[in-house]
This record gives sequence, C-alpha cells and structure tokens, in this order.
Amino acid sequence: MSTDTRSDRGGSLFARPLDWLETQSEEVYAYVLLLPAFALLALVAFYPLIETFRFSLLADSVASADPFGEFVGIENYVALLTGDTPFTQQFISVSTTSGFPFVQFDAPFFQQALFVTLAFAILSVLFETTIGFGQALVLDKDFYGRRWVRVSIIIPWAIPIVIQGMIFFLMFNPTIGFGTEFMQWLGVFGDNPLSSSTDSFMIVLVADIWKTTAFMALLILAGLQSIDRGLYDVAKVSGASPWQRFRYITLPLVAPALLVAMLFRTMDAMRIYGLIDATAGCETVPSLTCLVIISLQNSRRWATASAVAFLTAVVISAFVVAYLLALRNSNGGVA
Amino acid sequence: MSDRVSDTPDAPNGSDPAATGVAADGGVADGSTADEPPLDPTADEPELDRGIIEAWAARMISNPDRAYRATFYVATIFFLVTTLFPFYWLFMVAITPRGNLSDVGVLTPGGFNPGAFIEIFTTLPFHRYVFNSFLIATIATVAVLLVGSLAGYVFGRLRFKGRNAMLLLVLVTSFFPPAAFFIPLNRLFNRNVDALRPLIADGSLYNTPYAIFIPLSAIFLPLSIFILMTFYSQIPDGLEDAARVEGTTRLGALFRVIVPLSAPGVATAGVLTFISVYNEYFFSSLMTDGRAGSWAPMLEGILRFQGEFEVLFNLMAAASIVAVLPVAILVVVAQEKIVSGLTSGAVKE
Repeated sequence: MSTDTRSDRGGSLFARPLDWLETQSEEVYAYVLLLPAFALLALVAFYPLIETFRFSLLADSVASADPFGEFVGIENYVALLTGDTPFTQQFISVSTTSGFPFVQFDAPFFQQALFVTLAFAILSVLFETTIGFGQALVLDKDFYGRRWVRVSIIIPWAIPIVIQGMIFFLMFNPTIGFGTEFMQWLGVFGDNPLSSSTDSFMIVLVADIWKTTAFMALLILAGLQSIDRGLYDVAKVSGASPWQRFRYITLPLVAPALLVAMLFRTMDAMRIYGLIDATAGCETVPSLTCLVIISLQNSRRWATASAVAFLTAVVISAFVVAYLLALRNSNGGVA
Repeated sequence: MSDRVSDTPDAPNGSDPAATGVAADGGVADGSTADEPPLDPTADEPELDRGIIEAWAARMISNPDRAYRATFYVATIFFLVTTLFPFYWLFMVAITPRGNLSDVGVLTPGGFNPGAFIEIFTTLPFHRYVFNSFLIATIATVAVLLVGSLAGYVFGRLRFKGRNAMLLLVLVTSFFPPAAFFIPLNRLFNRNVDALRPLIADGSLYNTPYAIFIPLSAIFLPLSIFILMTFYSQIPDGLEDAARVEGTTRLGALFRVIVPLSAPGVATAGVLTFISVYNEYFFSSLMTDGRAGSWAPMLEGILRFQGEFEVLFNLMAAASIVAVLPVAILVVVAQEKIVSGLTSGAVKE
C-alpha cells in the first residue's frame, strides 16, 4: 500500500507512461519499444539515404557557400557513367588503368573506381572463402591447444583497421619493410609499391585477406558444426575417402552457411575505404567510397559525391539480390 | 618432391660456380644428376634424403590417415604463422631506434630502444586519443545494448503486425555503405543548432564524441538486435509470466528477468559492438579535425605520427601495439562470446 502511494507521488514522470504502457495491447507495446531503435536508424540511415538521393539530383556548385545548385535530374548519374564528370584526379586515371588489363587506358575515373571495387570484392571474397574454409576445417578438429589456435586466428579480425593498414604500410615501405624486397625478388613489384596502383591493389588485397579470413572461417565453422557427425560414420563404413566425405557431405551441407558468409563479406568488401586510406591512399587505389571522399574533400563536388555514394549503395543492393536468389535456389535444391 | 628442389641448387652453388645459373631455377633434376659423380659427399645426401622421403611417402600411401594428419599439422602451423607474424614484426619495428629503421630484418630488430613506448605519449597525447576511443566505444556499446534490448525483445518474443517487414528494414540498413549516409550526416553535424549551445560551445556536433558514436551506434545496432533477438527468444515464456504475476511491470519483466537470464547474449552483443566501434575507420576519421582535444579517436593519433617533416615509423608501430592491446585482451578473454555472436548473428540472417 505504502509503496503504491509513494510511486504515485514521486515517480509520476516515469510511472504514468509505464502505467499507460501496461494497459496497452501487445501490438502497441511492441511498436513503443521499437521506437528508439527506429528513431536512431531513421536519423542515421533512412533520412540520410533519402537525402543522399535528393542531393545527387542537384547540381554541383563549387564556388558558392551552399554546395548544392539547382535541380538537374539524373544528369550527375549520366555524367558519371559516361565519364564526363571532371574529377581533379583525372590525370592520374591514365596511369591507374594501365595496371589493370580489363579497363581501357583512358577509362573515366568512376569506371575505374567501380572496377577496383568489384575486383577487390570478388578477389578478396574468393581468397577469404578458400583460406577461411581451410581454417574452419582446422578449427573443426578436436586437438590439444585448439582454444589458443582459435584465438590467434581470430585476433587479426579484431584489430582496428588503422593498425592493419599500418602493419602493411610499414611492411611494404621500401626502406623499412622486407615486403618490397621480397616481392621484387619474385619479380612482381616495382620500386615503390605503395605509389603504384597495381602493386598497392595487391597489398590492400593481401591485407584484407589477412584480417578478414577469420570472419569467414568462423561463419563456415558454424556451418560445419551443425552437420550431423553420424553422416561421416556412415560414409566411413561405406568406404568413402576423406576427400569424398568432404566433397559429398561437407560441401553440400555447408553451402547455405557459406553463401550467407560470402554475402556478408561481399557487402563489407565493397565498402572498402579505411584500409586504402591508411596504406596507399585513395588516389592510388580509388574505390567507390574513396571516390565519394575525394570528390567531397578535394573538389567540393557534393552533388557528384552524393551520386557516387548512391550508386555504391545500388551496386551493393544488386549483389545482395543476386546472393539472395542464389541462396533461395540452394535451399530449394536441398529441401 | 619439394624438398629435393630446395636441396639440389645448394650443391652446385657451393662447388661449381659455372653451373649455378643453370641449376638455380629450371632443370633441377638434370643439373643434379650431372653434378653428382664428381662430388661424393654432397651426392650422398640427396640419395639419403630421397630414401627418407620415399620411405615417408610409402608410409603415407599405406596409411592415408597419417598423410591427412600431417596436412592438418602443416596447415595449423601455417595459419598460426601467417596470422601472428605481422604482430611480431610490428613489435620489431617498434623497438628499433629511429636511426636504424632500415636495419629491421624479417625476424630481428635493428637495435633496442624500448623508449618508443614512452615517446608516443610525450610526442603526442596518445593516451588522450586512446581515452577518446574508449569513451566513444563505451557510450556506443551502452546505447546499442539499451536500444537493441528493447528491439530484440520485441522481435524475439512478441507477435505483431508488420514484424517481418520491420525486421527486414533493420537488416537492409546494415547492407548500405556508410558512404551513402555520410554526406547528409556531415551537413547535419556541421550545422550550428542554437538549442545545443548550452551543451556544446559552438552548437555543432562536429568535433564532439556525439558525431562519432551516434552514427556508429546506428550502424552496429542491427547486428546486436539479431544477437539479442536470438537469445531473448530462448527464454521460456513461463519465467516472464511468473514475473508478471509477481507484480512487475512489462518493462520490469524485461530488465529484471529476461535480460539477466540472457547475460551471455548481452555480453556477446556488447563485446562485438565495443570491438566494432573501437576498430571503425570511416566515421572515426571523418567526423573530427584530428586533434586530441576535438575528441579524435585513436586512429587519428596513429596517423598523426606521420608528421609534416618526418615520418616517425617506430612510434607508429609502438602506438599501434599499444592500441591493439585492449582488443587483443578482449579477444582472449571473450573469444567464445565473439564466436557465438558472429555465428548467431549470421545464421539468423
């Protein structure tokens, strides 16, 4: 009795909304509890995404105080895709492309950035999946010291991007690191790999594989551990070799988990920015996100930057849809 | 086979300078047979070696499990070396005096100067940068756990119209690149808002911890929602009902029964959020001007050692090691949580 009256007098600020909440249906209660999460997401994600799209339809206005000019419709996108957008780094573009064989020599900067991003995403996910599978197979075994092996495999995943960048920046610094010398001995790299686009692309790729393979390994491991061990016993009795057990039991059963893991990694790889910024620099290896920052900071082309940012989101969505379709097909095939 | 390739070039290198060019890379088998007759001591070794390898190979063939076990150990050691070696080498750079940096070898430092670990705090207020990072990561973690608990409870335990659509919306936000959010947010945080003047000197959020932890909380919120959703949905309904019968409010039942019972899940979401925010680069590098006093996080500190006149490589390495220690310890302590969190977040899809 006494507690009731006290809470009525003292805590009315909190008590009244809580009392109100008690009397509502489960549905209203659910919406109220979701409110903070969606408010945060609306402020940081939904509203900016719509604004980015709106900005991308405006003209650049480099000189005035307001960086956006009049409404121009899809002109920014057309200019980007046809290569008419004048980026300040245009002159670098020629040397950038010369390293990559699939793009013509004077490809527009946006197309290079798109190519770099896609090539990076595909190559890194490919290597990370293969190596991650190997790590997952190792971690799936029971052996003495497994806990510590797992820790050391996870640690690269957990380190800050800037430190990952620093390690590879130092390693391939021509005076300090041994990386340049070693790669030159192999005949792959030039004198200063961190200022050559092709070499830097490889460095960034290796750095990313070093760090994020662990993530793939953990997700694949989860898939491996959900496999019924009895299947392996049956296969062993029927005389299947370890390779056959892998090929006909492990691989098909782990495929859905593998696709989910690849989806997560692809999305992440296509956002690559920090690693490039901390090692070679955005001008040397221009990814799509790099291009957003370059056009913002160097030339103050806010509308163009918005168009690039929105196109990045569109490209990623296309990949997500492709994966989800593949995932549905693979599920349909199994079930 | 590979052992023989690496063995044979040594023999001609040491004895017959004329043959080195030929035998160094191609035609190993031909070169070795040609060189064997005149060199008795070295000729024996490949023979002996081959004997061992052949015996070993024969044993592998007769007992394939041995071969698989050997592959397993080789793979384990390979993975351990590749993941840990960069840290070792970073440490070697850190303890090398600045003048001898070109002497850093693959395995050895170019000198011994542990003073670099003191210098990073005197050259720059690096402790302040690390403190900023810690503060931002802690606030973001608390915010994500609070908001994520509410949302995770709703998605995990309640039935309501539009549940799947809203869950999909949460999932979709985690797909988009931060760059797609950055430009409007940057404008928003640079705007001077009079209402904020009592709290922040010039009324804009740029150069404050808010400018980093607000976007990062939202970006890492979906993962936590998925993790907490999984854990909360596993608590039996009876426990919640019992708490309600005992007289707790609905929210009381959530925070007094469900959250404490899912402590491992909350810890998992917390550890993952903390690590992610601490490690983040994009917003962390763009939302402040990079000075320690402007709440710039640790990454700006490390990059600042790349000064205008001289690049202090050894200090960069030392600072990196100092900044990596907290997460490394967190991984060692909480590895089970990290593994279960990453996998449950993903499997839930």
